[in-house]
Amino acid sequence: MDEAKPEAVRTQGLVKRFGAQVAVAGVDLVVPRGSFAGLVGPNGAGKTTTLSMITGLLRPDTGLVEINGHNVWRDPVKVKSRIGVLPEGLRLFERLSGRELLLYNGELRGIPRAEVERRAAELLRVMDLVESQDKLVVDYSTGMRKKIGLAAALLHNPDVLFLDEPFEGVDPVSANTLVDVLQRYTSSGSTVVFSSHVMDLVERLCDWVSVMSRGSVVAQGPLDVIRNGRTLNEAFLDLVGVRGGGEEGLSWLGSSSV
Amino acid sequence: MVGLFVRLKLRLIRGNLHGDTVKQVGFVFTSLIALVCAVGGFALFSLLRLATDPGIALNIGIVAFTLFTLGWIFVPLLAFGLDETLDPSRLALFPLTTRQMAAGMLAASATGPWPLASLVALSGAVVGLAPGPVGVLIGVPAVLLQFALCLVASRAVTTALSASLRSRRGRDALAVGAVLLILLFQLPGVLANGGLTADPLAMLDAAGSVLRWAPPGMAAHALAYGGLAGLGELAVLAVAVAVLAWLWIAALRRALVTPDSSNQSGGAVRRSRLGGLLPQGMIGAVAAKELKYARREPRGRISWFMALVVSGVLMFSLRGPDGWHGPLFVIGPACMAAMIIGVQASNSFGIDGRSLWMNAVAFSTERDVRTDFAGRQLAVAIIAVPLLLVLSVGASIAAGEPLMSVPAMFTAWGVLGVGLGVGAVASVLVPYTLPERLNAFSGAAPGQGGEAFLGSMLGMVGVGVVALPVVLPPFFGLTWVSVLAVPYGLLAAWGGRRIGGMIGHNRLPEIVAAVSRPT
Repeated sequence: MDEAKPEAVRTQGLVKRFGAQVAVAGVDLVVPRGSFAGLVGPNGAGKTTTLSMITGLLRPDTGLVEINGHNVWRDPVKVKSRIGVLPEGLRLFERLSGRELLLYNGELRGIPRAEVERRAAELLRVMDLVESQDKLVVDYSTGMRKKIGLAAALLHNPDVLFLDEPFEGVDPVSANTLVDVLQRYTSSGSTVVFSSHVMDLVERLCDWVSVMSRGSVVAQGPLDVIRNGRTLNEAFLDLVGVRGGGEEGLSWLGSSSV
Repeated sequence: MVGLFVRLKLRLIRGNLHGDTVKQVGFVFTSLIALVCAVGGFALFSLLRLATDPGIALNIGIVAFTLFTLGWIFVPLLAFGLDETLDPSRLALFPLTTRQMAAGMLAASATGPWPLASLVALSGAVVGLAPGPVGVLIGVPAVLLQFALCLVASRAVTTALSASLRSRRGRDALAVGAVLLILLFQLPGVLANGGLTADPLAMLDAAGSVLRWAPPGMAAHALAYGGLAGLGELAVLAVAVAVLAWLWIAALRRALVTPDSSNQSGGAVRRSRLGGLLPQGMIGAVAAKELKYARREPRGRISWFMALVVSGVLMFSLRGPDGWHGPLFVIGPACMAAMIIGVQASNSFGIDGRSLWMNAVAFSTERDVRTDFAGRQLAVAIIAVPLLLVLSVGASIAAGEPLMSVPAMFTAWGVLGVGLGVGAVASVLVPYTLPERLNAFSGAAPGQGGEAFLGSMLGMVGVGVVALPVVLPPFFGLTWVSVLAVPYGLLAAWGGRRIGGMIGHNRLPEIVAAVSRPT
């Protein structure tokens, strides 16, 4: 539709302070449409804060956020129906069953009940949650929670999907399911933005990488450009300026020192 | 080992307070209350010496000692959950023998302001009950044994239940149990008010003569009478402490090698057919979710239960010596219940807590927030409207004026509507996080006590003021005014929804942040 504005996500000078602490110091993030984008950075780099501001859950101090060319904070009607969100910390309605959670989400977004039920049943099957669909979310394991959270985020078929640490604490089988679903989703031209610590995973899945450090984006672009012949992990450590040296100290550690 | 555990407990207390002014103030406050309890308890026990009839003094002593023991067993379970030194699973990996651990944990549980306060208060009994210098000789060990009994009994029960306390279902059950216990404490007052027992002294005597044979009662009896019989009672008490300690160590040993049950998942829930009766779309979805929460979330169950209990208690307390008469005694309880339910709606988002983002990412217009409020109001009404009806009819029949049930019902429904309207506004103005676990001191997350207080005050005063035009006339006999109460309530609920939607839409991120505080 909006061919003139190719970026799925664009932020300009996004700033957020919590008291004296600057969590995000002028982030200019760009994610082209249809890309599988990874947002990487060490703990405290401001990834979660940035994603919260982009998805309309946290009000930025200053700065601009556009999704598909629409301003998130000034034009929420155009934006909110087109994005799906899975925030960090697995905060879900604990006392609903997995199936009820999906139905609630669908109806909240104005999808007719019959259609919601059809989509929910399919999502539960794909996510391998059919057996536990009537159990309360409070009793779900981490992997199950991430899967039901992703299912809820996908239910209304958004254009852009924002996932904060979707693979953290997830078992390999569930992670594989998540990856399958996400790859199918992006192959149809939709956009995924996810934050992660796991470089191997980002390297394997993403075609676009944004590296954050200390509240700003220090590098972003196609994966191969960022990598520049190195592994992503090496490139990342160079970019965020990690000091080496863990050689001194700990001389007592290990069997040889007994 | 004992010293290590005492230091651990002190360090945990200190660490918990580190860098958090609100908690520090809270701790100072708690310590002050403990001090007051210690001094007050000591003084009250000492005053028993002034009782003209030593029998009465003894009976009071027996009942007090028993209540002390029960308090030690239940209060840590209900109000505070497991503190770290109480939870054996945290210590399971350390190379400690069971006996070392038992000694250490016992010492840790004797550390802190409340155990010290108990000991001081209990020693007041030596002053109040001991017959003479020789009595003191028996009195001091009696008090020490009683204190040990409290500690060991409390530890034995928490340890035996620790596995189930860590599971979700166990904690849920406990949360509801807390309310039942509060209710239990209300019972004597209600009974006394109802005039069911003519003579409090006879009641005390009856209680004393039964409880006298339980270990705490024996301690009190030994204190008061001394002699050989007293020594014998002390011996029995010591055996009781030893048996409890043995039970505790056995439970401890078992708890250390039993797998944690917190990972066991609960069963499936039934799919409700109720959803089919609710309107389709957002209103129905929100209402269905709220109804499920009222049923499945312990905090939800408790708030409904409280509304019932408080109005019931009120109904009985208002009863004069010759029963209930006049509109006040029929309309009053129903309106009170409606008011309590309404005030609960003054933090509508609190029970959603950290999951409220799910609504926030979906809501893009004022209308969405308004519809959300409509769904919540519908859910409350589905439970509250029949509840108030039953309450009004019950009160009117008890008062012997069945016709009065109609105005009472209408007025209560009107107050409910006002409560929901005011609640919607309060919910967006002063939202706050409800703690996951119920806590004796605060209904809000650390640092949000002010908001919680403001929210309930706003709710209460707001409901009081807005509902006045429809509540006051029926109280003074103009019962026909109650016909207007329902439309008035509906109007208030609608207005509240509109204002709440307007403010709420602009403050959505702030509201999400306010109800998602860590607790």
